[in-house]
Amino acid sequence: MSDPAWSFSQTFTAQFQASRTELESRVDLAKSSKITADALQTLSSDLAKLTKTLSDATGSLPSYDQRQYELQLKGLQKSLEELRTLIPKSKFAFKRKDPVPSTVASPSSVQPIVLETSQPGSTPTSTNLTLSSRSLQYLTMTSFPDTSEMSDLTISDLNNCIVNLLPDASGGHSSRDSSLKISALHIRNLTDTVLLLPIIQGSVLLHDLSRCVVVVGCHQFRMHNSTSVDVYLSISSTPIIEHCSQIRFASYPASLGISEDSSPNVLSIQDFSHIKSTPSPNWSMLPSETQISKWPIGSAPEKEEVAGLLSVLLPGS
Amino acid sequence: MGLLTIIRKNRQKEKEMRILFLGLDNAGKTTILKKLNGEDILSVSPTLGFNIKTFAHGNYTLNIWDVGGQRTLRPYWRNYFEQTDALVWVVDSGDRMRMKDCKEELHSLLLEDRLAGATLLVLANKQDLQGSMTDIEIRNALDLHSIKSHNWKIWSCSAVTGENLVTGLDWVVADVAGRLYYSTTASPKQAPVPVA
Repeated sequence: MSDPAWSFSQTFTAQFQASRTELESRVDLAKSSKITADALQTLSSDLAKLTKTLSDATGSLPSYDQRQYELQLKGLQKSLEELRTLIPKSKFAFKRKDPVPSTVASPSSVQPIVLETSQPGSTPTSTNLTLSSRSLQYLTMTSFPDTSEMSDLTISDLNNCIVNLLPDASGGHSSRDSSLKISALHIRNLTDTVLLLPIIQGSVLLHDLSRCVVVVGCHQFRMHNSTSVDVYLSISSTPIIEHCSQIRFASYPASLGISEDSSPNVLSIQDFSHIKSTPSPNWSMLPSETQISKWPIGSAPEKEEVAGLLSVLLPGS
Repeated sequence: MGLLTIIRKNRQKEKEMRILFLGLDNAGKTTILKKLNGEDILSVSPTLGFNIKTFAHGNYTLNIWDVGGQRTLRPYWRNYFEQTDALVWVVDSGDRMRMKDCKEELHSLLLEDRLAGATLLVLANKQDLQGSMTDIEIRNALDLHSIKSHNWKIWSCSAVTGENLVTGLDWVVADVAGRLYYSTTASPKQAPVPVA
């Protein structure tokens, strides 16, 4: 019986017993003191590891030994279950509250874990670029700090605005190099607004637009809960709409620069609210005679002119 | 040898895992899968329906189900819960406006009986974008600490650079393996056959 299997089972037994005894003593310790959810987590993951080691050794161990080890682990598992019941459960409920880190720490038993990384106020919070809560304005790149890194941009809560983030947007700022590179866009709650955006790398996600014009090039396009929007789009995948109506599509205007990008003339739009073989009533192609030919990309208009420009550009006018 | 063959076959079967990828639309579920599989990620369109990918990962065969996340598709998620070993919840780390939605969808999934016991991996995707929320911020925003019913972990990752995708999957596989093997070795019908 001096074959490799036997010597394996010898060394395995020694290691296994050592780890098991060590784990057992930790469990006993936990029983006598107050245990945190985190510590219990560590214990159970260590137990899982040990269980895995044992199951990996299946076939190389004498079956009686294996059975004994399994029983021992089962016993440990049971002790862990008992410990688990001692930890007060936090009651789950949906709460309409802002995701402020401090609100996480409600039950007293969970508090220690939360405190170690997220003391209110001390958490380093990341910031992203946002453009929000404006009305009757002409907004360009100058509204942002200069940055050349790929960034995520959020545009929200605008009404009666023209946003021109095209790289050539003049008004003193014509250098292409210093232009901001947007690679993801989240847009929400715009009314009577025109968005002129360059070709970006990532995806565009839009919610709650009404009576708007959106010019954008992107990798993915999703529009939700919007009505009366004209979209001028350059895209390599299938654009989709959901819970939308009166959406009109056209291809990205060649006059705005990026003509080398061969955007297909016929866009195929997927309407997730109308998954049928019949054409969706919620979108159509924008006839070329109704497409905008004169874009507001010259010098920035005066504040009083914005409303006038909008009345010409917006759908239904 | 007949019995040994049967036992071996049985163990082979156990080495399959079913992993369900869910998350809000625009989280990057399909892109992550394509990246893991070494496919082109530029042609990814929003998913209408679902995709299945089968990977060999170490000794295991992973059957990954990626179901579309648009609001109209979410009611169909429940059709994919059966026999799920692990749930991978993908989050768009730049989507601050929908974190509340994201949290509510996740927590309501965790109440599902058929997902009870499944390992939960949260992927904080799109870390390549400047201005994305960090994994710690997302952990707090999604209130992950309140989850006691599932073994969970959060990893920051990027489907574009591939950062942490394999590491995250490694953790899921190890966690599921530990659990699955324990339950099968402990159940009476799988008790070792006496050799003597």
